[in-house]
Amino acid sequence: MQAIVSTRGLSKRYGSSYSVENIDLLVEEGEIYGFLGPNGAGKSTTLKMILGLAQPTEGSVTVFGKELAKHRRLILSQTGSLIESPSYYGHLTGLENMRVVQRLRNVPGSHVREALKIVRLEQQQNKKVSQYSLGMKQRLGIAMALLASPKLLVLDEPTNGLDPAGIGEIRELIKSLPQRLGMTVLISSHLLSEIEQIATSVGIIHQGKMLFQGKLDRLRNESHPTIAIKTSRNPMAHSLLAAQGLTPILQDGFLRLSHLTDAQVARINRELLAADIDVLRIVEHKKSLESLFLELTGKERSL
Amino acid sequence: MFPLKRVVAAEWLKLRHSHLWIVLLALPIVSVLMGCGNFYMNQGVLQNGWYSLWSQVGLFYGEFFFPTLIAICCAYLCRLEHSGKNWNMMMTAPVPVASIFWAKLLTAGMLTAFVQLVFALLYIIGGTMTGLSIFELPEELFGWLLRGWLAAVTISSFQLALSMRIRSFAVPVGIGLGATFLGLGMYVAKAGLFFPHSLLTIGMGVLSPESLPVQQQLTVVVVNLLYTAAFSAAAIYRLRTADVSA
Repeated sequence: MQAIVSTRGLSKRYGSSYSVENIDLLVEEGEIYGFLGPNGAGKSTTLKMILGLAQPTEGSVTVFGKELAKHRRLILSQTGSLIESPSYYGHLTGLENMRVVQRLRNVPGSHVREALKIVRLEQQQNKKVSQYSLGMKQRLGIAMALLASPKLLVLDEPTNGLDPAGIGEIRELIKSLPQRLGMTVLISSHLLSEIEQIATSVGIIHQGKMLFQGKLDRLRNESHPTIAIKTSRNPMAHSLLAAQGLTPILQDGFLRLSHLTDAQVARINRELLAADIDVLRIVEHKKSLESLFLELTGKERSL
Repeated sequence: MFPLKRVVAAEWLKLRHSHLWIVLLALPIVSVLMGCGNFYMNQGVLQNGWYSLWSQVGLFYGEFFFPTLIAICCAYLCRLEHSGKNWNMMMTAPVPVASIFWAKLLTAGMLTAFVQLVFALLYIIGGTMTGLSIFELPEELFGWLLRGWLAAVTISSFQLALSMRIRSFAVPVGIGLGATFLGLGMYVAKAGLFFPHSLLTIGMGVLSPESLPVQQQLTVVVVNLLYTAAFSAAAIYRLRTADVSA
């Protein structure tokens, strides 16, 4: 598959601290790439560097196989974006705002109607944007991003500030784009639940560093299940298991073991009983993506 | 050239539903009214007809209202982008970065040309109403207006560079006003040719309505162009290199 966006060693330093450090981001064609990280992790800064809105301190950005620094206009002509909160001229109507973008991007007028239809704003197109609700502004911003039928769509927290119905709507819209319009989508969010539902690939960024990048399924597989065993004599069971080369962790009245096969679990059970230790519970704990994400980003510690 | 045309077209669209027109019309009206009033009351001293009237209306207009108007105009053109996160949208548009500045300068140039025209019309109307003959209009009038406009473009490039950098509306206007007074000082100190705001005073011939020698006229044009080029280059350089903060 062709790489649509790739960055190499991308860094941004403000003063003496890096807000983005050595990011190698890779978005392949037709993907919905979820760029995930807590607030202030460096998502917006990275996206701004990909769009040429911020200059990297180090590293390079390549979009559509071309270096951004050299082919800015060509890349931008095929990229739609919505960065931070949506851009708009409040004293103009929704339609007039679209016309401004239409002129800047040199696309036929029919695109305007189509884009407004996609985000379902035709009814409100003659209303001044200053009177729009946040959700409507957000939808207008997406319509502006879609206007030139870009090959790449970069959306920074597009569901920020929307109500649940609005979030669902935008989600369905974004999900449909790769197939319907052949777009590649790079979307950032601080909500795992958001990304989990639409992304095919994810990149997890924290404190400016990329902690994980790859298919969402691979991330799911990283959440190894653990087996927790409760016995009538835990300390004794602990030394028995340790003697067999296992590394059980005694926690909350349970012995926790990871990377166990079914056969191993059965054998452990048998041996505990043979040693006259009653087995009270054998429970499997699967780590949710949520806890995995929190583990990666270390939010647990700060909470 | 083609992308620039598109960006200018976008700029014009943004001026819709705007109240800027009121300022564009009101300031020349106020200056001509004040100037004509002054002229009418003091006809005993001001006996040089159209030239005397020009010195009166031009003083208010060229030394105060017009530079202020230019500053407001440029601040407005930039405020459109500062509010509503629009720098993000402008700077991700597939147009040369320089064209974003040139489009604003061109728009400011067109607006100030319109204001000069309104001012000229009001001057003529005011003069005829105070009893001057329309057939004795000063032959320098066109030159005053044109050189005044040239200086207006120079000042616009200065104000746009300021307003793009400073998010506040009032601060660049205030700086512009300060520069106008400084320009008056420079003019009085005979160093007017080397200060953009004095070029307006010289160009419009408000303090000395007699026509400039040809040699000096050329210098005025060249200095104007140099200043415009310098301010524009600075503004464009910054647009190219500084991070966008919308």
